[in-house]
Amino acid sequence: MSGPVTRRTLLAGGTATLVAAPWVARAQANTLRIGMQSILSGPIALLGTSSRNSLLVEQDRINAAGGFLGRQIEFVFRDSKGQPQEAARVARELVNTAGCELLVDAEASSASFAVQEVMRDLNVACIHTNSETSSLTADPKIRVPTAFRVARQGVHDAVAGSLYLADFANAKKINKWATCSPDYAYGRDTTAQYLQFFKKFKPDVEVVTEAWPKLGQPDFTEVITKLIQAKPQALFTLLYAGDLSAFVNQGNVYALFGQMTVATPNVDYPVLAAIKNLPAGIQSATRYLETFPDTPANKEWGQAYFKRWNERPTNWSWQNSVAMHFYEAAIKKANSLDGKAIAAALTGLKINSPFGADGTITMRDDHTTIGYAIGWGQTIPKDPFITDIKPADWGKIIELETEWKKQQNYS
Amino acid sequence: MNRNPALRDALFAAIVLILVLAIPMLHRSPAFEDFIIRLSAMALFATSLNLLVGNTGMVSFGHGMFYGFAAYAFGLTMQLTELSLPVAALFAVALTTIAAFVVGAMCVRLSTDYFAFITLAVQMLFFSVIVSWQSLTGGDQGLRGGIPRRHILGFDLGSQLHLYQFCAIVAVLGLLALRHVSMSPFGNTLRMVRDNAERASFVGIVLWRARLLAFTIAGGFAGIGGVLAALFVSGAYPELADWPNSGQAIFAVMLGGINSFLGPVLGAMILLALNDLVQRFTEYHGLVLGVVILAFALGLRRGVLDFIHLVWSKRAR
Repeated sequence: MSGPVTRRTLLAGGTATLVAAPWVARAQANTLRIGMQSILSGPIALLGTSSRNSLLVEQDRINAAGGFLGRQIEFVFRDSKGQPQEAARVARELVNTAGCELLVDAEASSASFAVQEVMRDLNVACIHTNSETSSLTADPKIRVPTAFRVARQGVHDAVAGSLYLADFANAKKINKWATCSPDYAYGRDTTAQYLQFFKKFKPDVEVVTEAWPKLGQPDFTEVITKLIQAKPQALFTLLYAGDLSAFVNQGNVYALFGQMTVATPNVDYPVLAAIKNLPAGIQSATRYLETFPDTPANKEWGQAYFKRWNERPTNWSWQNSVAMHFYEAAIKKANSLDGKAIAAALTGLKINSPFGADGTITMRDDHTTIGYAIGWGQTIPKDPFITDIKPADWGKIIELETEWKKQQNYS
Repeated sequence: MNRNPALRDALFAAIVLILVLAIPMLHRSPAFEDFIIRLSAMALFATSLNLLVGNTGMVSFGHGMFYGFAAYAFGLTMQLTELSLPVAALFAVALTTIAAFVVGAMCVRLSTDYFAFITLAVQMLFFSVIVSWQSLTGGDQGLRGGIPRRHILGFDLGSQLHLYQFCAIVAVLGLLALRHVSMSPFGNTLRMVRDNAERASFVGIVLWRARLLAFTIAGGFAGIGGVLAALFVSGAYPELADWPNSGQAIFAVMLGGINSFLGPVLGAMILLALNDLVQRFTEYHGLVLGVVILAFALGLRRGVLDFIHLVWSKRAR
């Protein structure tokens, strides 16, 4: 079998390696592999990357503290491009091929539902860290025994935001509202949900116009003129990420912010960085803010992140970080990595957290977190960007969430 | 040796099926099994497209709509009714075939370029309907809540092994049926239409009727692929019916070879393996895939199997 290696042999060998490699890769024996999947390419890769960055900080911290059950941890990151069928495949691959024993599903909504279905077949624990769609855990038919959510939940934010905005509107006597949200399920569903609660707290509210720009729309002129022509007193918008910063930048040109009060729950550090002149007085929620909760622990976490990555964290960052805190506590409690054992330990678990409204966050029996910090305040053009922050009332949130779940026949 | 090609094909299919079914008995590899499940769906999808592209010369850019249509039809039937899985699957495929017939009736009379455009347009229309009709389809979030995977004929499709076996059997039988279509007098008619439509017309072939039949059959088989895809993800998502998915099938056909029956299957295999592999190492998978496909296109100037055929026949001479 000796002789020169021909181009053909090389090609054949290369092809064979290419085809065989997916089934050959295996982990080193004792390292605990944790699979993480998210959107790491495309227009909102920034959010996926901020999740990964946060997990890498956690990886170092956990390994320095001795790992999980004495084993060092190592993340295996995969890009699902945010596509559901790819997300389902990747989740199975992470467990079946890459040998991951825990999963962090950092997908946005639709892909997280695909991962959720896959979890029914895999006996490993999984924490969804970025999907805010309530039904993922609220609907008992969709809930999965070994899968949990450590993230904001749409209905919590809708109640908190509506309560704040109703108080604000009553104080300022603002009745005429306009809405402007992205034209797809998240935008339409969530706007409807906010309005439903908003009208409950302020029955005399009137929606004078609705604008539904397309996702990623480069030019908002048409939307802005439509809004200005309708002469609302206030505008509620669910635009986010690049769309929100583009909207604010273009709205500034038309002096939109002088003509109406604007309210949005979706302001995050990267959005603030992309806005050239942040108008003062936008009513805004805190998705992640170093100054809310205003505690040394939160500030320290935000600054450690900045020091490591030279950029500020996003809402997705803290959620992923907390997911690892929950894993850490649950594994310690269960003394096992078995999916069912971790699930039992996670259910009802309360941990101390820099991001908790009262310094703690709880994993409720329905596999979703409560007690995380939600606040609303108003913007100022420079750091800390949002001031006069009022924390949400979690008692009220849970009361209305329970009512909502009954309406949906979820409980 | 070629006295009975149908028997030869059936024998070949049986051997492949036995081999594929035997692998998990020797060694269980969940990743390999997942790969075969996805390949089953993709192979049927791409091969059915090749009935149009390779056999009939009709380049459809909207083939993904039938793949997605069947996934939704199947998922919704399973969620909304108590029908058994095979009945729901057959119903979904039948519905998809009817949809293909209706779409085909609108498209097949158009010449090549306009045919390509209009199939793409109908697909985009269908995609928009899925995204907008939220109360039925779940909009851009997809059909959530899972597909109840009821037992059929002793198969428990909740188990990966059984899903693997089921998909392998369906795919091999589906491909065998497509092979029969392609080798039948009707298949010859399609090739004649492709090579010289005018002459075919002079011989007495009604062109639109032949094309419509091919379009309908292709749609139906893409539908079978769609059902398998829905089973794999246990749901249906708009992406299944979106144009990049049609593009994947065209890639698979071009990569594997349009003149070889198994070309699209090989193309699908290469595409899936590349996708899985490249994603492990880089986020710039689009770039890598593009370069690889470019290398194939410029290096071989035809699909892989077509290239092998060419080299083989040159050697034989």
